[in-house]
Amino acid sequence: MSTTESPLPVTMHQRSDAEVAARVKALESIMIEKGIMTTEAVDRLAEIYENEVGPQLGASVVAKAWSDPGFRERLLANGTEACAEMGIGGLQGEDMVVVENTDTVHNVIVCTLCSCYPWPVLGLPPNWYKYPAYRSSIVRAPRQVLRESFGFDIPESVEIRVWDSSSEMRYWVLPQRPEGTERMSESELAALVTRDSMIGTGPMATP
Amino acid sequence: MRTDTTQVGDARRRVEQLLTELPGDADQLSFNHPWELRAFALAVAAYHNGQYDWSEFQLALIGAIRQWEDGAAGEPWRYYDRWLEALETVLSGNGVLAGTELDDRAGAVLATPRDANHHHTHREPVAVDPAR
Repeated sequence: MSTTESPLPVTMHQRSDAEVAARVKALESIMIEKGIMTTEAVDRLAEIYENEVGPQLGASVVAKAWSDPGFRERLLANGTEACAEMGIGGLQGEDMVVVENTDTVHNVIVCTLCSCYPWPVLGLPPNWYKYPAYRSSIVRAPRQVLRESFGFDIPESVEIRVWDSSSEMRYWVLPQRPEGTERMSESELAALVTRDSMIGTGPMATP
Repeated sequence: MRTDTTQVGDARRRVEQLLTELPGDADQLSFNHPWELRAFALAVAAYHNGQYDWSEFQLALIGAIRQWEDGAAGEPWRYYDRWLEALETVLSGNGVLAGTELDDRAGAVLATPRDANHHHTHREPVAVDPAR
């Protein structure tokens, strides 16, 4: 389907929450009547994405990469396949590319077109990730945006790379293992990994 | 897919409860309102059902967002408005939605009182699962 050919509905005013909630409810009832889905299926999906898929999955991948050099190599070579080793994958995780932070390079992800995001490892994106302001400003002035909007200072000596995800390829960040964590187990390490550290807009939790 | 309706029903109530009661910075949440999660799940469910390729939905979403950006006057940014618009676009494109069907249904939903099914007082249990 071409978006240029299909006339989009023209919305003259923003619907109130009650109006839009009614519209979603109406759409659901129509789709159920037409046999496209069941209420249970929709409920289950909502439940899965709200409670079960989340950045804790990405954190477990990061902790494994820190603990297992062979896995780290496979993860950087093919993010989707390496995650599949851990049983992690699915919709919007088909072509994941993991970019590694180092002493000299800091990575940040964005989707300038819509909000492509690696759901299977990070869950659903937070609202700010979807705001037009983030999508445009992080590309124009990443260092300044990280400092001013996220309170996250990247040393001048470190290069910042901003990766634009698309429906074909979704990026996420392998943060650096914090110092002083040599004796930690994978699950202890995973607890240090924040969602924002895998987006590139925030630090790790402190051990 | 789990079909245990009680368990799923409980999960749904739990999720909706969580969503409406979440404190703190709304920017950190994925969903601000239950309808957003619902709209999200509908799009995924219709995709799973084979109604469209995910890429079609993504294109429609990109188009809806771009249109908002081009004509930004007037309507404040709300991501799931664009999401719903994209879903309507693909479902109209493949013939699931036709004419004013959705408008009409939405009007009917709005016109239905919240307690439409509770007009009569039920003084007895409405269902009983007897002891064994």
